[in-house]
Amino acid sequence: MTQPQRKFPPWIKKRLPASAQAERTREILGRHRLNTVCRSAQCPNIGECFARGTATFMIMGNTCTRSCRFCAVDKGKPEPLQETEPQRLALAASELKLSHIVVTSVTRDDLEDGGASHFAAVIRELRHTTPEATVEVLVPDFQGNAESIHTVLDAGPDVFNHNVETVPSLYPKVRPEANYDVSLRVLSIAKGLRPDILTKSGLMVGLGERRDEVENVMKDLIKSKCDILTIGQYLRPSPQHLPVAEFIEPAEFERFRESGRLMGFKAVASAPFVRSSYNAHEVNKEAQA
Amino acid sequence: MFEVKLPDLGDNAGDEATVSTWHYEEGDEINEGADLVEMTTDKATFNVPSPRRGTLSEIFAEEGDVVKVGEIIAIIEEE
Repeated sequence: MTQPQRKFPPWIKKRLPASAQAERTREILGRHRLNTVCRSAQCPNIGECFARGTATFMIMGNTCTRSCRFCAVDKGKPEPLQETEPQRLALAASELKLSHIVVTSVTRDDLEDGGASHFAAVIRELRHTTPEATVEVLVPDFQGNAESIHTVLDAGPDVFNHNVETVPSLYPKVRPEANYDVSLRVLSIAKGLRPDILTKSGLMVGLGERRDEVENVMKDLIKSKCDILTIGQYLRPSPQHLPVAEFIEPAEFERFRESGRLMGFKAVASAPFVRSSYNAHEVNKEAQA
Repeated sequence: MFEVKLPDLGDNAGDEATVSTWHYEEGDEINEGADLVEMTTDKATFNVPSPRRGTLSEIFAEEGDVVKVGEIIAIIEEE
């Protein structure tokens, strides 16, 4: 059964905050010509996060080299890298007074290092401009290239995040150009290189996976020494994207959370509106406790 | 007179939402921050709070109508 258009269960409801801070956040991001995954992926949490002065920066352009069927980011031929982006991003983070900064990117399979050195430049610039803030990176798979992972880690982020996104049986449908084992390997390589840096991964549910498949992904992530887990409801960005197969009830998310904690994750965020970087600051504090 | 525009709901500029329910009728008094209208996008349902306190004097978009971000959906007469 496909999802009827614009019909949602009662728990898929957000309240837009009436806040001047959200406008200020938009103004700062616009002035520094920065992309956010909040806007590009049409995130439903945008009003709430912008009102809190938080945003997830998306670097290396607004065009992705892969065509994942769940994602609203534009696909096509990517733009050249902008050398001034790390400085502009750090200035915006400083103006926004962010205490925890999340940086992600489009996938750049066209670049030799997948954009790892650009990630590293951003982390270094943030360390210089906002030394008191913690930095989380949400990276693409770099096609499993250990050298690229090393380049990012060498710049010293506090959290290294790479999402598996879904269960392996749905990869051909959801992430046709990605590989589940490569994603797990990215996390293991990162932990092997820098055991002191927290690793994090997440997946969407409601794409048609079975519960036991979700549990198996959690076990695989634990084997890959992943510290933090996020689970959220998949929401279709447009009728051209994969339909929602099922709206998972909040109680089920709670069960995933409990089972994740029992398996040994240091922190688990699991709720319908959880996104990879949603409330990241609090989730990371929980992992460090 | 304050023009209530459909705020950015997280969609790309130029995108739209469907009016699902008005929580107030024309002529009603409304407080700033109170839930004014419920809208749906492709991703979720959103309650849009009233940006001002006053009387809801006019509603321009009926339930089921599709409106664009930035479009005027109502008028509030401020006291």
